[in-house]
Amino acid sequence: MKLRGLWQFALSEFKINLREPAMLFWAIAFPALWMGLFGAIFSEPMPGFEYEGLNYANFLFSGGIGLVILASAFIGMSTTLATYRETGVLKRLRVTPLKTSTLTLGFTLSQIIFIALGVIVLFVIGKIFFNVQVLGSWAALIGVTIFGMVTFLALGSAIGSVAKSPRVANVISMIIFMPMIFLSDMFMPISIFPSGLQPICKALPLTPLNKVLRDIVYGVPLDELWQLGIMAGWLIFGIVITLKFFKWE
Amino acid sequence: MSAIVKCEHLVKSYGDLIAVNDVSFKVEKGEIFGLVGPNGAGKTTLIEMIEGLRTPDSGLIKALGLNPTKQGDELKERMGVLLQTTSIQPDIKVKEALKLFASFYQRTPDNTEELLRTLSLEDKAGSRFKKLSGGLKQRVAIALALVNDPEILFLDELTTGLDPQARRNMWDLVENIRTQDKTIFLTTHYMEEAEKLCDRVGIIDYGKIIALDTPRNLIDNLSAESKVTFNVEDKDIDASKFETIEAVSRVEKGKDGFILYTKDENVTLQELVRLADKQKFRLSNLRTESPSLDDVFLTVTGREMRE
Repeated sequence: MKLRGLWQFALSEFKINLREPAMLFWAIAFPALWMGLFGAIFSEPMPGFEYEGLNYANFLFSGGIGLVILASAFIGMSTTLATYRETGVLKRLRVTPLKTSTLTLGFTLSQIIFIALGVIVLFVIGKIFFNVQVLGSWAALIGVTIFGMVTFLALGSAIGSVAKSPRVANVISMIIFMPMIFLSDMFMPISIFPSGLQPICKALPLTPLNKVLRDIVYGVPLDELWQLGIMAGWLIFGIVITLKFFKWE
Repeated sequence: MSAIVKCEHLVKSYGDLIAVNDVSFKVEKGEIFGLVGPNGAGKTTLIEMIEGLRTPDSGLIKALGLNPTKQGDELKERMGVLLQTTSIQPDIKVKEALKLFASFYQRTPDNTEELLRTLSLEDKAGSRFKKLSGGLKQRVAIALALVNDPEILFLDELTTGLDPQARRNMWDLVENIRTQDKTIFLTTHYMEEAEKLCDRVGIIDYGKIIALDTPRNLIDNLSAESKVTFNVEDKDIDASKFETIEAVSRVEKGKDGFILYTKDENVTLQELVRLADKQKFRLSNLRTESPSLDDVFLTVTGREMRE
């Protein structure tokens, strides 16, 4: 049965993620630690804080969602895909009736569950220690989170398909991850960077995700939704590269 | 009997290398068919074409009456596969893996517990795949190949890399599966394994099947001789005494004792024992050595099996 296969695959992948210490650290613990650290050090927002007079921890919470997505969908997926190809897992799946579409949906569904877990942990800790509040719509928050996840899943799959080995996939995604979290308006405003660097910052896929998530968390009018188009471009880019380079073995 | 697998004039090349070169054969329902040959002979390419993983350059394949390339979806529902270097998710637990793979098939007998039992994996049901020994991993792989109660089972290099004990366990398992009315197609580079398990054996070398028959017939057709080796205690016997024994063609006296070369080891043994009785001498270290598939390979290829 197609649906049963989809659900079982998603559930297995979710459980496997829970057994992976690196995944648990980067996707669950690291965003919470990051929020806790900055929340404790900076009780006052940085100069130029765009939501004057509002809770600074909300800013950290929205950024934390991006960290969860990046660790799980981007780093996790790139490494998993390369590992499954190199160890022959994909080849083994290919001689079963499991369809490629079911496989893709299964990975996506397992990521939705895992990222939901990460975001819930982040929110509960934020709520308890820093009185984090979602002032806008939860539905919009969930929708944009899923869109961000799908975008980074596509980019993670692209790296997993291009990289020769799991180790290479992991290194490439970490090399992209590290500068991106600094350049994407996550906890320092883009305006502090040299003007030549700013257009690059704005073109990164994480920047619009941060911006829109933040607007939703602060409940301000969503007049920058067009920025999701930048993410859509990266999404298409990721899919094209994956389709071009993906190999079963 | 009807052909479960039928291959006609199969060809597959990788660049300049012709991996499978004009191969034709049939596998009958209910038999264990073995493809034997050295590494790189084309075994895996051949079996993976039948499984639908590779497309032949030319030739025809029917597996369960289906074209593996065009009707792969239906074939996948009805076959079980153990790949050569197979792996599953390193962090998946054994029982989870069985349930996961079972969920991919339309027809799944609810046989998870039964498979764990028959493959003696009950103690390992909660263990992660990556923590298992080679033999246990291979048993899990067999269990996964059986979750859909397949009509045909493909086993590529079932026992490569296993220690002798684990290898013997695998043989018992295959014998056990045979009783369940399944057709088994296996590849191996151990002649001993093919001889022990297979109803029919195809010997493949450089992409061609160079001999195909039952192991018995392959060996008999060699008309190679068996050896009967023994020592004589307490008495000095001349080698010429044994030359008159029936079926013996040649006698040698080496440092390990006498060696009789014979076309019929049964007759020779009986006569030898009678002679010892009559002439009052004691035989010791008596043993016989029959020709094996290794000798067949040596004869048809003119060289020892490469490892």
